[in-house]
Amino acid sequence: MPNNPITTIPELHEHLKVAMQLEHATIPPYLLALYTIRPDTNLEATRILRTVVVEEMLHLTLAANIFNAVGGTPDLIAPDFVPKYPAHLPDGETDFKVSLRPFSCAALDTFLDIERPRKAPTPDKRMIHKGARRFAFSLQHPDDPKHELAYYSIGEFYEAIADGLRYLNNEHCKGGSPLFRDKNQVGPKYYYSGGAHLIEVNDLKTALKAIDTIIQQGEGFDREDGGGFIRSIVTDDGELSHDFRFEQLKLGRYYLTKNAEGKPDKPGHPTGPELKVDWDAVYPTKVNAKLTDYTDYPELHAAAVAFNREYFCFLRLLNSAYNGQPNLLLTDLVPKMFALRNLMLQLIHVPMPGMTGFNAAPTFEMPSEEITCPEKVTQ
Amino acid sequence: MIFPIGAMQRTNSEKVGTETYDAVIVGSGIAGAIIANELGRSGKRVLVLEAGEGTGSTLNGYHEYLTRYFATAYKDNQSPYPTNPDVPMPRSSDARKITPGIPLTSGYLVQNGPFGTDTTYTRVFAGTSLHWEAKTPRMLPSDFRMQDDFGVGVNWPIAHSSLNDYYEKAEHELGVSSDVSVQQDPKLDLRFRTGYDFPMHSIPLSYLDKVVDRGIRGTSVELFGETFDLSVRSFPQARNGVPNPAYENGKGFAPVGAVDTVQSEMGGRCQGNNNCVPICPIQAKYHAGKTLAKALQNPDVHILTQSVASKIVMDENGRVRHIEVKRYHRPSSPEFSSLNVTGKVYVLCTNAIENARLMLASGLQSRNGLVGRNLMDHAYLLSWALMPQDCGTMRGTNCTGGIVNLRNGRFRTHQAAFAADIHNDGWGWAVGSPLYDLRLVVDQQNLFGPELRKELVRRINRQLLLAFMIDVLPDENNRVSVDPRYLDDLGNMRPVISYTPPEYTMRGAAYARQLARLVFQRLGAADYTAYDPADYGYITYEDEGYIIRGGNHLAGTHIMGPSADRSVVDENQRSWEHENLYLAGGGSMPTIGTSNISLTIATLSYKSAEAILRVI
Repeated sequence: MPNNPITTIPELHEHLKVAMQLEHATIPPYLLALYTIRPDTNLEATRILRTVVVEEMLHLTLAANIFNAVGGTPDLIAPDFVPKYPAHLPDGETDFKVSLRPFSCAALDTFLDIERPRKAPTPDKRMIHKGARRFAFSLQHPDDPKHELAYYSIGEFYEAIADGLRYLNNEHCKGGSPLFRDKNQVGPKYYYSGGAHLIEVNDLKTALKAIDTIIQQGEGFDREDGGGFIRSIVTDDGELSHDFRFEQLKLGRYYLTKNAEGKPDKPGHPTGPELKVDWDAVYPTKVNAKLTDYTDYPELHAAAVAFNREYFCFLRLLNSAYNGQPNLLLTDLVPKMFALRNLMLQLIHVPMPGMTGFNAAPTFEMPSEEITCPEKVTQ
Repeated sequence: MIFPIGAMQRTNSEKVGTETYDAVIVGSGIAGAIIANELGRSGKRVLVLEAGEGTGSTLNGYHEYLTRYFATAYKDNQSPYPTNPDVPMPRSSDARKITPGIPLTSGYLVQNGPFGTDTTYTRVFAGTSLHWEAKTPRMLPSDFRMQDDFGVGVNWPIAHSSLNDYYEKAEHELGVSSDVSVQQDPKLDLRFRTGYDFPMHSIPLSYLDKVVDRGIRGTSVELFGETFDLSVRSFPQARNGVPNPAYENGKGFAPVGAVDTVQSEMGGRCQGNNNCVPICPIQAKYHAGKTLAKALQNPDVHILTQSVASKIVMDENGRVRHIEVKRYHRPSSPEFSSLNVTGKVYVLCTNAIENARLMLASGLQSRNGLVGRNLMDHAYLLSWALMPQDCGTMRGTNCTGGIVNLRNGRFRTHQAAFAADIHNDGWGWAVGSPLYDLRLVVDQQNLFGPELRKELVRRINRQLLLAFMIDVLPDENNRVSVDPRYLDDLGNMRPVISYTPPEYTMRGAAYARQLARLVFQRLGAADYTAYDPADYGYITYEDEGYIIRGGNHLAGTHIMGPSADRSVVDENQRSWEHENLYLAGGGSMPTIGTSNISLTIATLSYKSAEAILRVI
C-alpha cells in the first residue's frame, strides 16, 4: 500500500469530503451528552463539553474552508453525510463505536477514543487492508469505486491529507496552475468561538495551519522533548487539548497548563482543583434511539421526526453558508441552534413509555424523502 | 481569560502587616484594576484591598450571582449581588421621597435631599463594572472648557487632546466595539487620531433603533439660533463584537471572554441577552475582573478580600502613614480583626462617594473644604411611548443606539446638553415592564390563554423608552459628608448625601421632554409618559413636574484642578495636600458632560499609573 494515497485532485476531494463528515459526526454525540446533563448540575462538565463541541464546529468549518480552497463544493445534505449511529471510526487495529449516549463514563470513554487516536507504528502501516474494518465513512478511490481506503486512525487520516496537499501543491506549481484559490471562505467575523482560531485558506501555508489546528486541538499531538516524543496536555496555543479536557472529568481533577513549577501537568497527573461530577444528575436517554422505537407512540414519533427534519434543514442552511453565504451564520444559523436545542430537550425530558428507567432521545435519522424547509428567518 | 489559581491567597492578614508595598490600592473596580495591572506589569509590589468577598473571580461564583438574579422577583439593578451587612451598598429599593429637615436613614446612604436619589454602586470584587451598562463614549473637548466656552461650570486643568493616548489604552483594555467612521463628528468636535480605529466593530443597531431613525431623519430642531438634524447613532460599548482585523495596524484584536481559573468558552461575543444591567450572563460585557486576572498574572500583585479600609492615618508631615483595615470573617457577623497596611503610595479607587466618605471619616477634609463637595450624577429623564408598529423590543443589549445630536452647542450657555438612549428593553426602567404589562393585562383587561399571550406580545413588542442623560454642573452645595451618628455594622461612618439637580440641568430636562414629544409625534407613537408627584424623584420646574432618576455616574467629590486652593487633586489625581495619596475615579472629574464616566475613569487611571510609576 502506498504511504501517500493522495496524488490527484479527486482523491484529495474525496478525503476532504470525508473529513467534513468526520468532524460533523462527533457533534450529535457531544451535543446529546451535553443536553442530557440536568440543568444547574455538573457545571464543570457542561462547560467542558460545550467548549469541545464548539471546537468541533470550528473544525467542520476549517475543513469546509480547505475543501473550498482546493476547488471542492461542500455538501452537508448528501445522503450519507450524517452517519447512522452507532458509527464506526478507525482506531488502531480495531474500530470503536460512537453511539448517541447520555452523559456517562461510557460516553466519556468514546470521546477519549475519538480525541486520542493512535499513531501508526510505522509510516507504511498508515493504510490498512480494507478487509480488516468497517470505517463508517466509506472512502472510495474515485477512479475505482470497488477499491476502498481505510486508515489506521483519524490522526493518520489527517496526516495523509496534509501530505496530499503538499504533494499536489508542488505538482501544480510545476504545472503553472494554482491548487488554491480564494473561494467561499468563512472568516472569524462569522464564527467567533472555539478559541477564535478560524483560518481563511488560500494557500498551502494556511491550509496546513488549518489541518494543524484540527489535529492539535483534538490530540495535543506528540511533542519532541530532548530525545523522544512526549505527549503534552497543551496545544501550540497553550490550551488544553480535547482529550485531556475529557480526562479531567474521569479523573475528577483539573489539569493545570501552568502548575507550581510553571510547566503544564504531565498526562495522567493533573494537579489542579478538584472537579466533581454527579453521574446521577443525568437524563437516562436510550442509547442510539431510533424512530422505530417510537412507532407505538405517535406524539413522540412526531416530535422525533420534527427534530430530524429541523436538523436536516439546519444542515441545508449551513451548507449555503459554506457555499458562499457565510452571513447566514450570523443572521439565521445561531438562532436555529437554539431552536434545535429546545427540540432536543423536549425529547430528552420525556420518559420512554413502556421502558422504565429510560428517556426518549433525538435519533438524528435524516429524512430520505424530499422535504421543504421553512423560508429564511430574516428579511 | 484565565485567573491564576491561588492568586487570591497570596497573602493574608499576618503577612500583609509585615511589609511595605510599593502601592496600596483600595477598591478592585475599573480604576483599581487598571492601576494594579499597570503597576504589576512594571514589576511593582501591589496590594489591592477589596471590601467584598472574592465571588466573581470564578465561573462558579459568577454563577451564584446569575442564579440569584434569575430567581428573584424584584429585579433591581443590584439584584444579583447579595446583601452583605458588613459592606452595605445602596439599593434602588432604598429610595424615598425626602421630607425637608428629616434625613432619610433607612438605606445605606443617609440622604438630606432635597432630591431623593436612587443612585447605587456595587461593593464587590470588580466593583460596579459587574453591574454597569458598558456604554463608553468619550468626553467632548467642550466638556473640558465649560467655563471658557459657555461661561458655566469649571474648566479641566488639562486639554481634552492630552488624554487621547490614554483614551486609546482604555478602549483597548475595556474592549470597545465601535467605528471611528460612525463616531467622528465635527459638530460635536469629536475627532480621533488619524489611522485610529476601535478594537471591535460597532454593535449593530437594533431593529427598533432603525425604525426610530427612519422616523426622525429629516427632522431638525433649533436652539438659540443653531440647527440640529436628528438621527440615530450607535453607541460605543465595552462588550465583545466582531473583531476589527485592521486594529493596531493589522494586529487585530482577540476579545476577552469570561474569567475563570480554567479556560472557558464563553463571552466571546455579545448574544443580546438584554439584561446587561445588572449582570451579563456570559461575560461578553467588560468587567474589571478581566483586568484583575491580568494583574494577578504578576506574582507581586496581591489581593485581600473582605477587607474594608476604615481609616487613613497621616504622619506629622501630612503623608499617609498607613491605612487601617477591618477584615470581617463572615458577612453575617460584625466581628472583624484590624490590621494596618503600608505602602509607598496609596490609591483610593472606591468611587466618588466612598472615596470622599473615607477621607472625611479619617478627618481629612482639605483646607479649601472641597472634599465631598461638587457631587455630580447624570440626571436621567425618561419618556415612553407605544409605537404604531411591531419593533421587536426586548432584543439585543439594553441599549444599542440613541440620539446624540444635542450633546453640544451654543445652547450650553443656558441649559444642559443631553444624550438620548433608545432602550431595547422597553418600558422596564420607567414602569417595570414586562411585569407591569402582565399585571395590567391580567388584572384590568381580564385576558388569559392565547389572548393574554397575544396582547402581551403586542404591547411589549412596541414599547419605546427614551432615556435622556442630562449634564449636571458642579455645585458646592451638592455634597457627601459624614456624621458619627450614622454608622454601619462595622462601625464605619456612612455617606451623608445632600443633593439636588441644578436648575441648569432642569432647563435641559424640560427641553428633553419637549424633544421626546416631537420624536414621538414624528414616529406616530402614543405618548404614555406620566410623572407621579408621589414619586421620590419628582421635581417641579417652572410649574411642570418631572421625574429625575440617578444615573449612578458619581463624580466631583475630589475635584481635579490647577492648584491646591481650588481643587483636591492635580491632573494625575494626586492629592495636593498629601503627596503619597492618590484619589482615582469619577471624583476627580470637574465636569461630566454627556458621557458615561467609566471610560474616562479608565483613561485617567492610565494617566495616574504612569505618574505613580515615576515616583515609586
